[in-house]
Amino acid sequence: MATTTEHVSLSTENPKSLPWYLIDLPKYLKGFGVLTVIYVSLRLYQGAFAIEHGLDSSEPAFEQYWMRLFYIELVIIAAVASGFWGYLWLSRDRQLDQLAPKEEIRRYFTLTMWISIYTFAVYWAGSYFAEQDNSWHQVAIRDTPFTANHIIEFYFNFPLYVILGGCAWLYARTRLPLYAKGISLPLTLAVFGPFMILVSVGFNEWGHTFWFREEFFAAPIHWGFVIGVWFALGVGGILLQGVTRLIELLDKIEDAE
Amino acid sequence: MSAQIPISTFKPYRGEKARLARAYDYLILVLALFLFIGSFHLHFALTVGDWDFWVDWKDRQWWPLVTPLIGITFPAAVQAVLWDKFRLPLGATLCVAALLIGTWVTRVFAYHYWNYFPINMVLPATMIPGALVLDTLLMLTNSLTITSIFGGAAFALLFYPTNWPIFGMFHQPVEVANSQLTIADLFGFQYIRTGMPEYLRIIERGTLRTYGQYATPLSAFCSALLCSLMYPLWWHIGKWFADTRYLSKI
Repeated sequence: MATTTEHVSLSTENPKSLPWYLIDLPKYLKGFGVLTVIYVSLRLYQGAFAIEHGLDSSEPAFEQYWMRLFYIELVIIAAVASGFWGYLWLSRDRQLDQLAPKEEIRRYFTLTMWISIYTFAVYWAGSYFAEQDNSWHQVAIRDTPFTANHIIEFYFNFPLYVILGGCAWLYARTRLPLYAKGISLPLTLAVFGPFMILVSVGFNEWGHTFWFREEFFAAPIHWGFVIGVWFALGVGGILLQGVTRLIELLDKIEDAE
Repeated sequence: MSAQIPISTFKPYRGEKARLARAYDYLILVLALFLFIGSFHLHFALTVGDWDFWVDWKDRQWWPLVTPLIGITFPAAVQAVLWDKFRLPLGATLCVAALLIGTWVTRVFAYHYWNYFPINMVLPATMIPGALVLDTLLMLTNSLTITSIFGGAAFALLFYPTNWPIFGMFHQPVEVANSQLTIADLFGFQYIRTGMPEYLRIIERGTLRTYGQYATPLSAFCSALLCSLMYPLWWHIGKWFADTRYLSKI
């Protein structure tokens, strides 16, 4: 989704009849598609192997079916983080002072798409797989911090949305003048607050070493996650920043029928 | 540095600018949908939690108190932006509808299809009627004070009666092994939960039963008072998060 100022003329000529401000729409939809396939596949994997091989962490099959998945996830997460963040940084726009209004508008659309992909990952991590954790812990005895749901929720879903949030932050910082001149407080809150949810996993699992069976979901040991997710409300500030700037930019361009 | 909307530029867009603005609206709608499902659901699941998960936790003392009190938080915060900045009177309903989508998907696919809990055992409660009243009251009065007092109270007071058609049938008494239970209790005893055994259930503590039929209205009015206070608190939390400043360093 990156475009430098030097490429403005290319990005505004859209061969596939999409409006110039929606040139990144196909990539955005593909992003939704790829994430949906990943999350549904992980859920199907749980359905196939959790009851059979995921109830007792001391069994050899647990190592084979679940810990191996965990190690694969770590490699994927490391590759995705370094790949996306590295690309966004290395392809940054070094001539932001020459950015044309139309290109800046297009980039605001692309930033909104990045944040939207981020919130889609937040949905899977914060809604579906998070509450599924409660369901799984009603049928399994917790004898490890690496349960069949944790391996997906804590060690894949959480890092993945952190990476995507980081992508949105980096995209804004490297391609939009206002975000490059100053650090957007609401964007930073909306990305770094939910990042603290990942850190809260340590506190949560430490707490569970005291009462490994009970999973009272509203217990204070879980409230670290709750405070982290409040920061997602920073998206309201991002919206206000974006709308304000778009109004200014639209005033600078001629209207077309 | 702070974002300021130039008022002089407010005029209807036509042609390409109008299409651009509409496309941006749709992008924001998709973004907001997943944002509020993900964030409000996590907040709700880890604070209301078991009172919403399980039918046998839906008691007369805690459920009508805890659920509206936690449920009014995100609606208030989102109204503070959508109403105050965009004059959209749908912040509460949007949040609660997003929450319901998230909980229903999870109850069906995570509880029922993965771990075989009957769907009747894990039905989510609804807060849609209270959210509609909250949005309507804010739109009609444009007053934080009136919406806090009357909207917050209505959000809490409407909770139990509007959920009664869904959950009333599970409060029917049954006799099992010479003991009188509700059908909801029976669900809890029949479907063993290793993480949440029956003895950890937080329902109807203390001397509640001496209050007889007054227990539920008392809980609801206590919740109404607390919701009237929670609403403005979260309105201001929402405004604080919707800051538009750019900082020189973090």
